[in-house]
Amino acid sequence: MPDRAHSARVPAPGANAPGVRPWHGYGLGLRTEHFDAVLEENPAVDWFEIISENFMVAGGKPRHYLDAIRARYPLAMHGVSLSIGSTDPLDLHYLGELRQLAWDVEPIWISDHLCWTGNGGINSHDLMPLPYTEEAIAHVASRIGQVQEFLGREILIENVSTYVSFANAEMEEAVFLSEIARLSGCRILLDVNNIYVSSRNHGFDADAYVAALPAEKIWQIHLAGHSDYGDYVIDTHDHPVRDEVWALYARTLQRIGQVTTMIERDDDIPPLADLVAELDQARTIGESVKNSSLAICA
Amino acid sequence: MITLQTLEKRFLAHVRGSSIFPREWCAQGLVNSDIGLSIYANAYGSRLSEALEADHPVLGQYLGDSLWAEFCKGYIEAHPSQVRSLRHFGAQVPTWLANHSPFSGHPVISELARFERSLLDAFDAADGERLDWSHLQALAPGAWPSLRLQFHPSVRLLQTATNAVEIWRALKEDLPAPSASISSEAARLIWRDSDRISRFRPVVANEYLALCGMFSEGEMFASLCEQLATVLAVEVVPATAISFLRQWFDDGIISRLYDADGNP
Repeated sequence: MPDRAHSARVPAPGANAPGVRPWHGYGLGLRTEHFDAVLEENPAVDWFEIISENFMVAGGKPRHYLDAIRARYPLAMHGVSLSIGSTDPLDLHYLGELRQLAWDVEPIWISDHLCWTGNGGINSHDLMPLPYTEEAIAHVASRIGQVQEFLGREILIENVSTYVSFANAEMEEAVFLSEIARLSGCRILLDVNNIYVSSRNHGFDADAYVAALPAEKIWQIHLAGHSDYGDYVIDTHDHPVRDEVWALYARTLQRIGQVTTMIERDDDIPPLADLVAELDQARTIGESVKNSSLAICA
Repeated sequence: MITLQTLEKRFLAHVRGSSIFPREWCAQGLVNSDIGLSIYANAYGSRLSEALEADHPVLGQYLGDSLWAEFCKGYIEAHPSQVRSLRHFGAQVPTWLANHSPFSGHPVISELARFERSLLDAFDAADGERLDWSHLQALAPGAWPSLRLQFHPSVRLLQTATNAVEIWRALKEDLPAPSASISSEAARLIWRDSDRISRFRPVVANEYLALCGMFSEGEMFASLCEQLATVLAVEVVPATAISFLRQWFDDGIISRLYDADGNP
C-alpha cells in the first residue's frame, strides 16, 4: 500500500524505542457512515481505529474504502471476536484472517477485549465477563501468548464494561488485568468509560483501579458514551462522552502521562465534524497534562 | 470449585434462554444479579435481531412486525451463531424460511431473502478484472470452440420461481407490494459493477440455459451452442450465443478468457 501521507501528521516519536510508550495522538473509530466524509474532508484526526471483523471480506466497498483511508491515515485494528477468555480452542481460521488483514493494513497495533464471546462453538457476539481467578489468569495469559506468537507481535487487551461479577473472584479486576499483562507481555488498552461503567455497577473506586495498573503498559485509551439508568449504567456508545468520564480521563492522564487516545461511537452516529470536535476536547485535556508526551517506563 | 469452562457454559446457556445461571455463582454488587444477567440476555437477542434486520430490511418490511419477530426468534434459536462476524450470521436465512411454517407456505418469502443475501454477497465479494468486447474480438477463430469464461467474483445467478424481486423493488421504492405470483423471468443475474454498486437484471430462459452452462458449469462455447440447439433453430444459435456473450461483456462481468486446458 504505497503513498502514506501520515508521517507529517503523526510524529510517533520513539515508537519502537525500548521502554517508551508509543504516541500516535488522537483518533476516532472508523465507521461506514463516515467513509466518504473522511476522504472528502480529510479531517484533523491523527489516526483511525477499525473494527477488524468488518474488513474481513474479500473485496468491494469495505476494502476499497479501507485502502483509500489507509493511504492517508494510520490505522489501529480493534477486534471483537478473539474471545481470548473462552475455553473453546483458539480459532485458527479467524486468526489467519486477522493476520492477513494486518499484513494488508500494517496497523499501529492490534487489540481485542479481556472477555470471552462464545462457548461450545456458539458465538454470542457480546463481551462476556470473566471470573477474576488464578485459573482464568493462567488460561488467558497463555492464550494471549499463543495469539502474539501467531501474529508475530504483542497485542493490546482492553478492559470491558461488566454487569455481573462472580462469587468465586479471588481478586479485583485491576489486579487480574495487571497480572495477565505481566505474564503475557501484552499491552493494555484502557477504556476509561468502561472503568466508569463497571465502577458504578460494582461499586469500586475508579481512580484506585487506574492506580493499580502498570502505567507503562497502557498504550491506548478508549473514550465513549454510556447510558445511565440510575441504579445501573450500560456501555452503549450512543452518546457523547459524559462529563464524569472526561473527569476520570483527565485524572488518569495526570497519573500516567499522555496516552494515545480515541473516541468510539457505534450508535446514533453524528456527522464526522461533531466527533472531530469532541475529539478536540480529549486533545485539550491531553495537552493540559503537564507530564511529558512520552511516558518513560520505569 | 466452579471451573472457567463450566461457568462460561452455564452463563451462555442463561443468556440464550435455555437454562438458568445459578444466582449463588454471582457476587452481589450494586447491581442486582438478576438485572445484570438480564442485560446480557437482552443484548444477545437484540444484537442478533439487529444483524438480521440490517441484512434483510425489505424482508422485514414485507413480513411486518409480528411475523418478523417470529422469524427472528425461530432463526436465532435454530441457528445460534457459529461465525466470528455478524456479516455471516444470516447465511442460512433463506433455507430456514423455506423449511419452517408459516414462512414455508409462501415461497416468495424465502426467495425474497435469497435475493437480499445475493445482493450482500455481491457487495463484498472479491475484486476482479473486467474484460471488454475487444478481448473476445482478438481471439483466433480456432480458439472459439474451446473458449471458456471466468466470470467476475461478484456474479450470482438466482433462479426465480416467484415475483420476489418485483416485490423487493416496489418496497424499496416505498410503493405498494404486488401480490405474490409466478415469476415471468427464469432468473436474475446479480453482480457488482465497476463503481462498486450492486446491480441485477432479469434473465430469460435461453440466457439462463447459457449461464448455467458457461457460468455455473464452466462449459466451453461449443457446448453452449449445442445446448442452445436443443431449444432453438440451428441457424439462429450462433447469433444468439454471440448476443449473450456481448451482453455479458457489456455488463462488465467477464474477468478472464481461457481454453479447455485452463490456458489464457
